[in-house]
Amino acid sequence: MSLAADAFVSQLAAAEPWPENATLYQPLKEDQILLSDCASSLAVQAYLRMCGLPVEVVCRVNAEYMSPSGKIPFIHVGNQVVSELGPIVQFTKAKGHSLSDGLDDVQRAEMKAYMELVNNMLLTAELYVQWCDDATAAEISRPRYSSPYSWPLSNILAYQKQWEVRRKMNAIGWGGKTLEQVYEDVSQCCQALSQRLGTQPYFFNKQPTELDALVFGHLFTILTTRLTSSELAERIKSYSNLLSFCRRIEQSYFEDKSS
Amino acid sequence: MAAPDELFCWEGDWGLPSVSTDCLVVLAYAQFAGAPLKLRKISNPWRSPSGSLPALRTNQKETLSRPSDIIIHLRKQKYNADYDLSAKEGADSLAFISLMEEKLMPALIYTFWIEPKNYVDVTRRWYAEHMPFPLNFFLPGRMQRRQLEKLQLLRGDESLEAGEELEKELYRDAAECMNLLSQRLGSHKFFFGDSPSSLDAYVFGHLAPILKSKLPNGKLQQCLKSLDNLTNFCTNILLLYFPRDNRGKPEGGDFDHVPNKRRKQILSALVALGAMLSYALLTGMVSIQHVQQEAPKMSVRVLGVEILTS
Repeated sequence: MSLAADAFVSQLAAAEPWPENATLYQPLKEDQILLSDCASSLAVQAYLRMCGLPVEVVCRVNAEYMSPSGKIPFIHVGNQVVSELGPIVQFTKAKGHSLSDGLDDVQRAEMKAYMELVNNMLLTAELYVQWCDDATAAEISRPRYSSPYSWPLSNILAYQKQWEVRRKMNAIGWGGKTLEQVYEDVSQCCQALSQRLGTQPYFFNKQPTELDALVFGHLFTILTTRLTSSELAERIKSYSNLLSFCRRIEQSYFEDKSS
Repeated sequence: MAAPDELFCWEGDWGLPSVSTDCLVVLAYAQFAGAPLKLRKISNPWRSPSGSLPALRTNQKETLSRPSDIIIHLRKQKYNADYDLSAKEGADSLAFISLMEEKLMPALIYTFWIEPKNYVDVTRRWYAEHMPFPLNFFLPGRMQRRQLEKLQLLRGDESLEAGEELEKELYRDAAECMNLLSQRLGSHKFFFGDSPSSLDAYVFGHLAPILKSKLPNGKLQQCLKSLDNLTNFCTNILLLYFPRDNRGKPEGGDFDHVPNKRRKQILSALVALGAMLSYALLTGMVSIQHVQQEAPKMSVRVLGVEILTS
């Protein structure tokens, strides 16, 4: 979001309390949504639940195109539309709900750094596995991404998205990596997260923050999504404190839905 | 002992060992870890084994391009600057490196390559002056297009262009990142303990060009200079680990320093002479004719007047 729009939205946001009919939009859960989008969406849902803000999840085929930045998920609150976790955190902060107020400066620096670590390594790895690995792209990503559309639009959209993601991978230097190297990077990232978490319940001891929501979103989705190879999930499973962390958050914030 | 690996990197300027961030990261890490590398400072990326700089050519004739790959290779050779780090510090390193790549690097790309005044006055001029003929005509432009494309892909916006709004947004993110780094560094000499690690190398590589380059649009530099501990951090590393390169150039010196000056002067004089001669011959001001007489004479026609010379 640009600076001027930022200030404007913050002012508007501060004016009204959180409405009851806030909605979160994402692609269709069963057929269409892909790993990376599902992870981002789950992260936002976890964050909003941690803040105690009610939101209804609505699945729409064209969610990606409705989003102001083109990324999933986005929330529709009152008469504003905000997408991606970063801006959503700022938006809720303007409304007076924040999870990271109790952190001091050094901790906040670490929290932001670790969030970028997850975005830089985990999210990019997810995108790589989905679109740059030929087997996964052909079996899972392209069919799912184009499932709501009929031929030939389905083919065009799927290949266009794949080409776009591959270009981005080349630009950031991931184009030359092999799948093995990507799995190694994921292991490294998980090791870093596991070290940081240690034996604490949440990353910053007693209270969850947006970092916990982001990590939960990505790890839980990877663990529960079926891909052509379960290597990614296996790498995460080797860190037991991350597994118990995911289970803890699932039980605390998502269990009431199923019970 | 095996022969040392060869590192190809960009030349240095402005008191830095190299002008490129990635090259600086690798150079700093090699100094910190005490790795013996054969340095080849060139200004022609086509002469590097991978076509881009930096590039490390190992003993096994393998070529590595990404700074992270080069550092991993050096670590495997037991040149490890992160040996003393605890597991948590290693995790923090990774996190802060990611933070810099996401928040600081787009601003760096913008300020050196996309911002019109900076690009034309400093970046393009530097690369065009330092690259050999004929690369200096098209390679800086090509590099700029690649950097613009990279920025567009990073931001996910295909229609990205230089503009004040984009500049404000990128510089705001960069300022936040630098503040966070400054808070993490505090009053310590290096980020972890008394000896530098790979995180120090990355921070140095990203911040040193901002600090030392003389750009017309210096907003990023002002922001960095307001953070004393980061400024001291960079100058400290330059003093300790790159003493030979730390000779500052005189103020006006930058624009007069053209490499191979004498050779270029002679070449330009020869080209000018050749051009004038061929113009004279072609238009007929000066022509050489063979005039058939008993004794072969040569006449030279100058400005339409024939002068007989025997």
